[in-house]
Amino acid sequence: MSRFLTTTWLLMARALREARRTPANDLGNAFIPLFFYAVTVGAVGGVAREAFGVDDYKGFQLPVALLQGAAGIAGGAGLALTQDIQSGYFEKLMLTSTPRFAIVLGRMLADAVKALGLSVLIIAMALAFGSGFETGPAGMAVLLVGTAAFARDNSVTYLIEGQRSLITAGWEPAALLKGAAAIVGIGAFTFTLTALALRSRAG
Amino acid sequence: MSAIVANGLAKHFPPDIRAVDGIDLDIPEGQVFGFLGQNGSGKTTTVRMLTTLLRPTAGTARVAGVDVLADPERVRKAVGVALQEVGLDELQTGREQLSLQSRLFGISPAETRRRVNHLLEIIALTDAADRPVKGYSGGMKRRLDLACALVHEPRVIFLDEPTTGLDPITRDQVWRYVEELNRDGVTFFLTTQYLEEADRLCHDIAIMDRGKIVAKGSPAALKSSTGSDAIPVSFATAAEATRADARIRRFEGIDTTAIAGREVVAYLKNGASAVAGIVLALNDEGLTVRELRLAQATLDDVFLRATGHHLEVRERPDGAAVPGGAA
Repeated sequence: MSRFLTTTWLLMARALREARRTPANDLGNAFIPLFFYAVTVGAVGGVAREAFGVDDYKGFQLPVALLQGAAGIAGGAGLALTQDIQSGYFEKLMLTSTPRFAIVLGRMLADAVKALGLSVLIIAMALAFGSGFETGPAGMAVLLVGTAAFARDNSVTYLIEGQRSLITAGWEPAALLKGAAAIVGIGAFTFTLTALALRSRAG
Repeated sequence: MSAIVANGLAKHFPPDIRAVDGIDLDIPEGQVFGFLGQNGSGKTTTVRMLTTLLRPTAGTARVAGVDVLADPERVRKAVGVALQEVGLDELQTGREQLSLQSRLFGISPAETRRRVNHLLEIIALTDAADRPVKGYSGGMKRRLDLACALVHEPRVIFLDEPTTGLDPITRDQVWRYVEELNRDGVTFFLTTQYLEEADRLCHDIAIMDRGKIVAKGSPAALKSSTGSDAIPVSFATAAEATRADARIRRFEGIDTTAIAGREVVAYLKNGASAVAGIVLALNDEGLTVRELRLAQATLDDVFLRATGHHLEVRERPDGAAVPGGAA
């Protein structure tokens, strides 16, 4: 187990090092959600109560910005993995005695770390815009974890509802459980597919 | 003890491509074994099966005493692999790349530092070690790739066309390093298209053609099996070459012949005494010889006999392809 953790850690560090050396790749992931959050809140925020019956549109829109950023990071991770495969580096990793699963998990955890950093930035901006946060710092922590997990798994509707509840409604166990179940379910499904794909590539 | 054993090893791809069609290997420890063949002959597929990157369709294989299907992780620990395409992360530095590779094999940080410094010195990359790989030349990348295959000190090393595209100086460096490691008892499985490489490095070679091994043995034994001398004779057309082949076969002292396009090669024990007679005999047949040489039989001749085509082709100044190959 410790070997699995060590190799996962090493591969996560490698992916983060790569991200640090190519900041332009992640600039778009940060810019797009921040830009659209500012524009949407500025354009629609004033009429949201009359038009949709939403009191705190800044809070309502925050999960969308968070997941938009996380989706960008997840997309970038897929591209990076493809580049590893095309360059032959993925095979070099496959030729080590590293557990196959750690190769994928290391990169995914690096993406979760990146998503966490971006989420902090987006939440700070939302708070600066005057967004409320019904569940306080604890809810904020749950929101960050949820977004980081999304960067790994990708599971939209239930997660966004769960996240939104933290900001605009307070602690709603049903919405949060559905969000968590979506992450776990899709995570288990995609991890299984990944493991099967790796198994079919090699022994 | 055998370092690599394969029995009936095969890899088929749908619908009907037999990339490797049931090959047998038994390579003793401490040997440099050469796998010769043209592109698409099945060399790389064999390497990929033996190194656990590809699951065989049929047959069995043991590398370093371990079954590649039963315990692939132990095989990976025992072997070093440098594939045909250099597989490096261009954003990492050379040192980071080697260090990560070492750590992924479970080697401690302190031992990793020692091995990485040592390897960087050997491959002459110490000065460039902390620069990103994307700035390296092709030769530097190849050397780093090779070092990645060595960092965990494997006892069996697979090199898939390790010197393709390298300049002669770097090629010679790689050869000398292979020889040095082999003196320490490391077994090499080397695929190549270069006959000079096979001749210089390999104790034994196998010639691969269309997924099958068509000849196997030491370079010296294989060359002597063709006769000690070779007389390649070129004609204007392939039809003339075919007629010439029929005539040369009847000539006294000829061991065998082979045809490749517009060229016939006669193999015999004492070429010098036969040249004049062959020219006269061909002249009597009304055949005009364009070019005739007397040479010692090479691995290319062995390859030609076994497969019906040359392994190496070089360009003449007039652009026509003529057989190449080293002695």
